[in-house]
Amino acid sequence: MAEASGGAPARSTGRGFGRVLVAVYGLFALAATARSTVQIATKFHEAPLAYLLSAFAAVVYVVATVSLARGDAASRRVATVAISIELVGVITVGAASELASNAFPDATVWTGFGSGYGFVPLVLPFVGLWWLRHTR
Amino acid sequence: MAVMAVAFLLAAWALGLVVANRKPGVLLLAGGAVLEALLIGFLIGGIAQMIASHREFARAEFVIYLLACVAIPPAAVVWGWGERSRAGTAVLAVGFLIMPVMVIRVQQVWAGPGG
Repeated sequence: MAEASGGAPARSTGRGFGRVLVAVYGLFALAATARSTVQIATKFHEAPLAYLLSAFAAVVYVVATVSLARGDAASRRVATVAISIELVGVITVGAASELASNAFPDATVWTGFGSGYGFVPLVLPFVGLWWLRHTR
Repeated sequence: MAVMAVAFLLAAWALGLVVANRKPGVLLLAGGAVLEALLIGFLIGGIAQMIASHREFARAEFVIYLLACVAIPPAAVVWGWGERSRAGTAVLAVGFLIMPVMVIRVQQVWAGPGG
């Protein structure tokens, strides 16, 4: 992480450590998009709430990935909003899936605080917001 | 299986370059191309096996996972190569490191809900 402040211009969120962060966000954008597409296309009636949340999470990850990669002033604002929504989403859905598991018959990326993905979805928004502050 | 072994090897190689703070060369790209060729074989073989099988499993999911497997290494190389830095090399490492996970997921979907 130390090299982040090295040669690259400090303001861009898609350079240095941000390069890796965008890659990880991109993976989650891909995972969430693929997952929700399959869920909605093949079995939407089984758990509409969970699948709509999956699709919503996918959109949030795609927006976060693209805006972090672009890194200009407007993109930074978009990224901040998207990652804040991601943080609220993973905590809310995580808590709701623990407390009312019958409301979530099938998993989303955020179910169980992202336990299906090694809890990376829970850590990622904190890292993202830290990175946006760090590169300001 | 071959895909996992090659992916681990490439990931270790890329991580080694990150630690040594050296730029990746054409040889690593060639390794990536070998991995991609294996993954395309994995995709074609997987779909052929799926068509031949009459078992019930999540077919759409299976195909999407196979397609994602094929898409990830080129995306990682394009994005990682875009910045010739330690971080760019780390992107390659992440891209390779995720492949064994993806292959395991493909196998789990193939095995069905019980597997």
